[in-house]
Amino acid sequence: MSNFGQHLTRGILHDNPVFRLVLGMCPTLAITVLAVNALGMGLSVIVVLVCSNVVISLLREVIPSKVRIPAYIIIIATFVTLVDMLLNAFSPDLHRALGIFIPLIVVNCIILGRAEAFARKHPVLPSLADGLAIGVGYTLTLLVLATIREVFGSGTFFGLSLFGESFQPMLLLASPPGAFITLGLLMAAFNYLYKKLEVSQKKRRSKQSAGDVTVPAVGTDVPKGG
Amino acid sequence: MMSKKFVVSSSPHLRSPDSIRSIMIDVLIALFPVVLMSVLLFGYRALITIILSALAAMATEALALRRGNFFGDGSAAVTGLLLALTLPVAPPWWLVIIGAVSAIVVGKLVYGGTGCNIFNPALVGRAILVISWGSHMAGDVWLCPEPYAFTADLVTSATPLATGQAPLLDLFLGTVPGALGETSALAILIGAFWLFYKGHICWRIPGSFIGVVFLLGLTQGGITAGLWHVLAGGVMLGAFFMATDMVTSPYTPAGKVIYGAGCGLITMVIRLFGNYPEGVTFAILLMNALTPLIDNYTVPKKFGEVKRNHA
Amino acid sequence: MGLRTFAGGVRPGHYKITADLPITPARVPEQVVIPLHQNIGAPCEPAVQVGDSVKVGQLIGTPKGFVSAPIHASVSGKVVKIAPYNHPLGNPVEAIFIENDGQDTPWEGMKPHKPLEELSADELRKIAQEAGLVGLGGATFPTHVKLSPPKENPIDTVIINAAECEPFLTADHRLLLEKTEDVILGLRAFMKVLNADKGIIGIEDNKPDAIEQVSKALAESAGEENIELCILSAKYPQGAEKMLIKATVGREVPPGALPMAVNVVNQNTGTAVAMAEAIKLGKPLYERVVTVTGPGIKKPANLLVRVGTLVKDLIEQCGGMTDDARKLILGGPMMGLAQPSADVPAIKGTSGVLLLTEKEVKQYSIVPCIKCGRCVDVCPMRLLPNLLGSYVEMGLVEEAEKAGAMDCFECGSCTYICPAKRPLVQWIRMAKGEIAARRKK
Repeated sequence: MSNFGQHLTRGILHDNPVFRLVLGMCPTLAITVLAVNALGMGLSVIVVLVCSNVVISLLREVIPSKVRIPAYIIIIATFVTLVDMLLNAFSPDLHRALGIFIPLIVVNCIILGRAEAFARKHPVLPSLADGLAIGVGYTLTLLVLATIREVFGSGTFFGLSLFGESFQPMLLLASPPGAFITLGLLMAAFNYLYKKLEVSQKKRRSKQSAGDVTVPAVGTDVPKGG
Repeated sequence: MMSKKFVVSSSPHLRSPDSIRSIMIDVLIALFPVVLMSVLLFGYRALITIILSALAAMATEALALRRGNFFGDGSAAVTGLLLALTLPVAPPWWLVIIGAVSAIVVGKLVYGGTGCNIFNPALVGRAILVISWGSHMAGDVWLCPEPYAFTADLVTSATPLATGQAPLLDLFLGTVPGALGETSALAILIGAFWLFYKGHICWRIPGSFIGVVFLLGLTQGGITAGLWHVLAGGVMLGAFFMATDMVTSPYTPAGKVIYGAGCGLITMVIRLFGNYPEGVTFAILLMNALTPLIDNYTVPKKFGEVKRNHA
Repeated sequence: MGLRTFAGGVRPGHYKITADLPITPARVPEQVVIPLHQNIGAPCEPAVQVGDSVKVGQLIGTPKGFVSAPIHASVSGKVVKIAPYNHPLGNPVEAIFIENDGQDTPWEGMKPHKPLEELSADELRKIAQEAGLVGLGGATFPTHVKLSPPKENPIDTVIINAAECEPFLTADHRLLLEKTEDVILGLRAFMKVLNADKGIIGIEDNKPDAIEQVSKALAESAGEENIELCILSAKYPQGAEKMLIKATVGREVPPGALPMAVNVVNQNTGTAVAMAEAIKLGKPLYERVVTVTGPGIKKPANLLVRVGTLVKDLIEQCGGMTDDARKLILGGPMMGLAQPSADVPAIKGTSGVLLLTEKEVKQYSIVPCIKCGRCVDVCPMRLLPNLLGSYVEMGLVEEAEKAGAMDCFECGSCTYICPAKRPLVQWIRMAKGEIAARRKK
């Protein structure tokens, strides 16, 4: 686990599921009206992703490659059902807010994508780290998006009123078109900063002596979409 | 002297005097009668809104591009001015600034700046305001004009499109409640004449736009209704100043007619069947989105190409 | 009736500052440099050797193929050198250097032919070929080739191109005024060769004196009923072959085809005069009218220039250039070729020497297209220059080819009109070069 930090920067930066891999768009756009929904969704995805990554990694020698996708779906669906029931039992409000998007985690491309691109080729510990890292990246991204939309679109943050009575929120941000516009702007900003970072890192690397091996970004071959 | 080296470049060696900047200045000149009329009708509040919007737009662009030249190519000033002309007379100051900033940033800069945007920036700004702060942008926010009373207190009222009442002459002159620049068809026509004269717009887009609105208006009660639909609301301002925006309208001659007709059609569909009393903003934005497609399907026949159907 | 014209085009202004200046013979230089490649098509081989004496009008270059025209000495004297020299088209070309003996001895072969009525079509064609006639508008297409249409394209109309749509240039304008009879005689000769029933002289309406003169000449002489004077709107590129045909007879030449395809042949005013002189005097094409003009010239003039005279000599005769002269152009400002130095000979196709000053020479940075569609409105070929330009800007040459880049004849109207100052025609030119190179492979 010594390189968990590296996995984490990968999950948040290089392989950021929303901004870089553009996966899991549907819940991203739909539930980011409020920060609390984003957090709930993010945590659910972390749980499902970590569990499914671990189990798939454990079973990677067992599952025949021809039927691996149905097998993954069953594994993922199991955990999703668990999460769904737990949420329903302990946090019915959140469960109601997230609605159909919890069951839909089954077909969320992030989870299937990590299974396909990472867990089936790596041992348990790295798979666990990968699931956690990608999950954290997803959660953080949702939080940023939801914070912006909630603060300016509703004038609250995690339900707390921020600006008082006289504030007139920007309803556009709370509406579906606002989700697209905010996501687009954030994605552009993220990639702009990312490229800048990449350039400065390249410069630093070329200054350092050769032989400094860096871990190549794994999993960028995931099919985009979903 | 004779061994002098000359500048070498590929022909042509003459360039027309028109530049993006000169076109934008001409648009500003064309907007002057509209601005003047709105100040005459609505007083000092109109002037404040207009200046605030134009300055905010120009400042946003100058800041974003880190440009020393505040005026730049003039397109930000045009965007800010056009946005102001679609606003109510005295909206809250922050509404104007948010509208202008989002018009420039979301409407134009994110696409890559002048020439790259898909949607008319001023209308993007207006659409964002309408969706976000509907209570300030529609309903009882429209002030009744008080001609030549610069500082008079004005009474609010609904627009003719909402009430369905107003004499045609008042609509033509602009002495009806409405957005700053949309009420006076007369002022708009004077400005549009300047653009025609300078060759910056042609009849195709405004002609087909207004023509379709008029034709569909006829079905609502004859010629008076047709004229009424043309003169009321934002059709005149939209047809001459918004839909003709070069960047976001088709460049093929046939495409311009289709685009204008589409704007007219969607405007009337929204007016007659939609939730909003006025549909010009969304009609133009929707047709903006179709512009590349229209261009693609209306490529003119090349000179000398045989005019027959290729099987 | 309104003025006839075509759809599109631009009005860059006339600048015809030399319109009222009569043609004056230029000083014959001490030495002429006559390039052996002066026409579209194959170059010539030298017909003389170093040390030979030549006379004015003597053949010095024999064509290497059918699409080529012979070249004649423009002064009498001695051949001193045959070597490559600067050429208006860019790369150095083999040229014959003749030292002028100052005698101007005419070559014995220059004898008047029979009157036009007694000459047969074949004889006339031979006269045009032997006189080395080429299109004098600038394209320099050998005239005898244009006079030999294939059988399946019978010619019914010959058009004399007197539009002179390029700003600044007045060479054809002066010829119309001073050699009206020769223009008409040349046209009749072309009509006879081609067995065409109809002749048209197309003049832009910015030359009212020429229009009056030509219509008077046509009215006075009998038997010119089948020659029509067509007044055209002064618009660039009215003088482009296809646009002229559209404006005068209303036919559109298909993409990639020659005017012959619509049974029409175009000839330039200067070519018609040269044809008339070849018949009347047996004079080959060794001199032509050149307009030396522009804000960078102190005393603009219309000069009768011997082929091979260096441009710097011409500039000197016109009072030299102003201090702020920055650009030297051979031809007109819309399609002419910028020259790096004035050490270049005037050739058969040199219609003008234009000097522009700092004020006109500007550089622009490339900014995005604002899709105003003006280039689409002005393109006489009804192409989409904005799209073609963007394709080339992004390196999509194949897309540009599909969108019709090869149909562009590079009139430059799009670049002229573009408010974003995008180098549209330059991009299209790049694409055309690349496509042509690819097709050759």
